[in-house]
Amino acid sequence: MSQAVVSVNAGMLLPVLAPAVGAAIVLVTDVVVQHLRRTHYLIALVSLMVGAAATVGGLGLGRVAGEARRTLCLPGGGQCMYVADPVTSTLQLAALLTAALTLLLSWPDDKRESPGGTAVIVSLVLAATAGATAVAGARDLGTWLVAIELATLPTVALVALRGARSAISGAVALLTASLVSFGLLALAAALWYTATGSGFLNPAAALAIVADPARRPILVLAVVVAIAGIGFKLSLVPFHAWTPEAYDGAPLPIAAFLAGVSKIAALAALLVVIRAISPLGAPPLTAIAIVSAVTMTLGNVMALRQGGVVRLLAWSTVAQAGWVVLPLAAVSSAAVSASGAYLLAYVLATLLAFAVIAALVQVRGSARARDLAEYRGLLRDHPVLASALALALLSLAGLPPGILGLVAKVAALRPVVDSQLWLLAVVAAVNAVLGVAVYLRWLLAVISTGEVTSTPGASPKATLGSANPVPDGAAPVAAHPVRAHPATLVAVGFTAVALVLTSLSPQILVGMLGS
Amino acid sequence: MVILLVAALAIPALTGTALIVSGRAMRPSAEGNANTLSLVASVATAALVIATVIARPVLDQSWLPSLGIRLHFAVDGIGAPLLILTAALSVAVVVNARSRPPHGGSPATFYGCLQLVELGALATFYARDAIIFYVSFEIVLIPMWVLISRYGDSHDLAARADASGRFVLYTVLGSTLMLIGILALVQASGTANLDALAAAHGAGLARHTQIIIAALLLVGMGIKIPIFPLHTWLPPAHTIAPTAGSVMLAAVLLKMGTYGVVRLVIAPLPIGFGALAPAFGILGVVGIIWGGLACLVENDLKRLIAYSSVAHMGFVVLGLSSGTTVGLQAALFANIAHGVVSALLFFLVGGLKERWGSADLATARAALREASPRLGFALVVGFAASLGLPGLVGFWGEFLAMYSAWNPAPDRPHLLMHVLVVVAVLGAGLAAGYSLRVLRLIWSGERTTPAHEDARGGEWSVLAVLVCTVLVLGVAPGLVLNSTAKDVAAITAEVSR
Repeated sequence: MSQAVVSVNAGMLLPVLAPAVGAAIVLVTDVVVQHLRRTHYLIALVSLMVGAAATVGGLGLGRVAGEARRTLCLPGGGQCMYVADPVTSTLQLAALLTAALTLLLSWPDDKRESPGGTAVIVSLVLAATAGATAVAGARDLGTWLVAIELATLPTVALVALRGARSAISGAVALLTASLVSFGLLALAAALWYTATGSGFLNPAAALAIVADPARRPILVLAVVVAIAGIGFKLSLVPFHAWTPEAYDGAPLPIAAFLAGVSKIAALAALLVVIRAISPLGAPPLTAIAIVSAVTMTLGNVMALRQGGVVRLLAWSTVAQAGWVVLPLAAVSSAAVSASGAYLLAYVLATLLAFAVIAALVQVRGSARARDLAEYRGLLRDHPVLASALALALLSLAGLPPGILGLVAKVAALRPVVDSQLWLLAVVAAVNAVLGVAVYLRWLLAVISTGEVTSTPGASPKATLGSANPVPDGAAPVAAHPVRAHPATLVAVGFTAVALVLTSLSPQILVGMLGS
Repeated sequence: MVILLVAALAIPALTGTALIVSGRAMRPSAEGNANTLSLVASVATAALVIATVIARPVLDQSWLPSLGIRLHFAVDGIGAPLLILTAALSVAVVVNARSRPPHGGSPATFYGCLQLVELGALATFYARDAIIFYVSFEIVLIPMWVLISRYGDSHDLAARADASGRFVLYTVLGSTLMLIGILALVQASGTANLDALAAAHGAGLARHTQIIIAALLLVGMGIKIPIFPLHTWLPPAHTIAPTAGSVMLAAVLLKMGTYGVVRLVIAPLPIGFGALAPAFGILGVVGIIWGGLACLVENDLKRLIAYSSVAHMGFVVLGLSSGTTVGLQAALFANIAHGVVSALLFFLVGGLKERWGSADLATARAALREASPRLGFALVVGFAASLGLPGLVGFWGEFLAMYSAWNPAPDRPHLLMHVLVVVAVLGAGLAAGYSLRVLRLIWSGERTTPAHEDARGGEWSVLAVLVCTVLVLGVAPGLVLNSTAKDVAAITAEVSR
């Protein structure tokens, strides 16, 4: 009997199991003891941290690239359904930490009532995170498909929970996109199986078609359909339309989750396919080149026209998704690492931007925090938050002092140049300019002096006087709390420090990918 | 000795960051503190830069092994004069700001941005790794953007936003194209070490590969220099920028483009550059004529000097395109000369604009000769140097550039180069025309009203030092030419054979 059963190593599966078990514990706890709120968040944070700690062994730290960790292997030293190499482990770690940060952003306080209850929100977040970490390690069609959906469907509920009209429409847009995407992915899985005769998504399966070239077109079709299906999740044009709706309709922490964990899950799913076919020595993937060029152009042009910061970030996500898949136009292992590095830089900077907006929502109210025009003079009113936001925007724009973004841009362009895709490289250069225009438009508002004054000496003093009239602990009863929640500030501080450290030494982040 | 180099970069980096971060803590009354701190930092940096130029230390440290990027900095004869120019002008802008403080925001942020601009420029001239060169090139961008968009001329806010945006977007386009070229160069030749690239002289690179890479790099850096059709960001940026910004922009940032052409195109890609040199030279000469003609009719004094920069950089481009040792020497000398002269003129004009309230030449004003003899004298020297009067610094670069283009490298089209020289001579004539026009309008005459104060204190000492430099380098150009001679000869050794 025993040789017919696949081997299971629960320790290696911990990055997936920990959030899944955490979700179950949260639900059980909620049944046993009701009206717990912070406890759910604490359980979730612990389970995410356990999962994150379990990924560390697989990272490409130090001189030696981390050994790939395999489990769920077929008997007789056969193929494995779960492989965690440095790229996989890094994406899992990023997903787990991102999820923890979004939980910090939605930390409950006594005044706010969480729609749907904290247990539901927390368990949905944990379930989606488990899906994201699972898809990164999945190497067979079944796990891959199920994990993608596990990463997606809870987010629909998370967007819808707020109950507002815009939330429902955003959730519907997301749900529709997910369903179409699932159809395409199922088709891709079927085509893959037809082409290779294997249920595994690994190079061994793909190499099977070398024996029978007639099946090659089917494999190509499988890959193209898979890219289309994942394109929905990654917000690639023409499958991007749900993005601004969902971001704008969702509560802010959930929008951050969509921009972070969901994108990590999507890229992880794409990388599983790309790495499976990379040994075939494929010619540059023209489909990805075109999609990437169109995506970044449309995303940037639309982002330039937005008046709300969440919508701006949504369109910037579209543009950045184009940059994330840009290196994949050249199929190589260097391209996979470059794509991963770009994604991590984007996620880190975007999370910081969302964290700052979340803090501003608590300080200035939702309407002001979401309106780009209200950011005028932010540097004067909230210098620390404004500096953090400036760092995030400059990282997204890829300009010093956001050196991490700059390095990511270098890494992403490199495989394109190595493959001599000159036209694509020039389109990317033009988009670098458009991107800078997008983020500097926001930054210009942040650093400007607020209202148009002709007497520079007088007005700052007046504002300084009126901004700090109240000593600590004697906050007036206002329509909204004046200070940001400590958990939000922790999230801002953590991401800002991470961004500064990785800008000083990008090797910390790039090295994890084991390239 | 490496510590000198590290400190020369660390001081502006730390001071700049500290000033910007603490900008809120320093109240407006603490303006003097910010100025003093950045003056101390600039002077210390300048001393360290001079020490590194003498000691020639090398820093070579792994930074991003996954992408093969090394923190590799060193000094050689080509970089040395530019390093000293950068460090000296960084002190000068701070000293000048003691007399003419910035308007429009926190002074700490203003000085912090200046420190970061200095950091980026120094790192660019020290860099020996092609990717680090690109990173350093980008460091100056955001601080300069802040200087223009926050501390620039606030008469027309829309024009200010337009000028700063144009500056940053053009430059990013240029530097990203340059990055693509650098990545292609690194991939094709297998090293990012600028010294190794220069030593290889393009060995093993096919002609068409060299041409593609050289074209990407030339377009990218041509925006920064700027070369004729790509120059349209420069006049508005100069017009709007505060004095310190204009000085650093004209005297230091533009030089990063020409310096990059020498390091990344002429040295490692001789064949590719040879193929594109005629077109490069033509655009340079068109820039000379275009800038000169614009100066003849331009009524905004700052914009006029910006256009004259386009013309002067045209001479640098002409010298580069000749492909000879003399041509490269001329280009590097003209680089320094333009740095000194444009710094002098922008200090002057920036000060005048603050006194007058505008820089419009059509308005009747007190003649500088009568109202402010010190400013008037500096202006005469500045424009005399600008028109290339022998005995002043401007003469040698332009004269040698035309000389080298008349006797270009054997593979250049001689007839075309001769035509270019003839046209460039006409451009030099235009320079005389517009220089004398400005002097006639604002220097000569008998009017003494409305009166304005003459240069004093920090402003006058900066002007005096620059005037002396114009004279000294004009009489003894060997000070710069000898520094660059050996390394330039190494670059052109292969080309001229």
